[in-house]
Amino acid sequence: MKASYLLPYKYKALGWILFVFGLISGGIVVFGGYDFDILKVNVISIYDEGGFLGGTKGFFNIIENSILDELAALSIIVGGLLVGFTKEKVEDEFIYKLRNDSLVWAIIFNYLVLAFTVIFVYEFSFFHVLVFNMFTPLLFFVIRFNFLKFKSDNDEE
Amino acid sequence: MKNRIKVERAELDMTQADLADKIGVSRQSINAIEKGKFVPSAVLALKIARLFKKPVEEIFSLEDQD
Repeated sequence: MKASYLLPYKYKALGWILFVFGLISGGIVVFGGYDFDILKVNVISIYDEGGFLGGTKGFFNIIENSILDELAALSIIVGGLLVGFTKEKVEDEFIYKLRNDSLVWAIIFNYLVLAFTVIFVYEFSFFHVLVFNMFTPLLFFVIRFNFLKFKSDNDEE
Repeated sequence: MKNRIKVERAELDMTQADLADKIGVSRQSINAIEKGKFVPSAVLALKIARLFKKPVEEIFSLEDQD
């Protein structure tokens, strides 16, 4: 079975750790109102248009920023990719099909949910939708894929 | 597509896991194929047929809706 862009199985555990850590710390960032003073470091900002969140207008500024949210986001992205796109213990064409089916399902489901929120969520609350929507395609995919695997595991003769 | 894997397996007294191990796929795959939920690739069908030492048509056959 050709599945060349899947990483080896050994990275899956690391993926789960990062993914769960990212989701928890991401939740803390969101429910804490995005305003944290911990982990403040100097970062390079390629472009900042200024505006209501403050900041220095212009290109390539060095700014001070709490990187808690950046770490959370990267953990979810890297962890989620590892969980979803590493090989299974026994990788075969059936698992490959489950993975593909889960991806299709996740994309469709994600955009149905997004369409619903576009119609029914307004003003600043929509900002939360945008934030969540950065990660929900990956999250829905991981949940669906593991649900299908679990179902076929328990689908005895 | 229907198949006789379960019958062939029973004749040789093999479990799904035995068959899966011999062919190098997961047990879930064999289960899904037997239940008709998953149509295997030609390569996998040929491997299964070779293991049972029978022509592939004897194990797999088309159904009306195929």
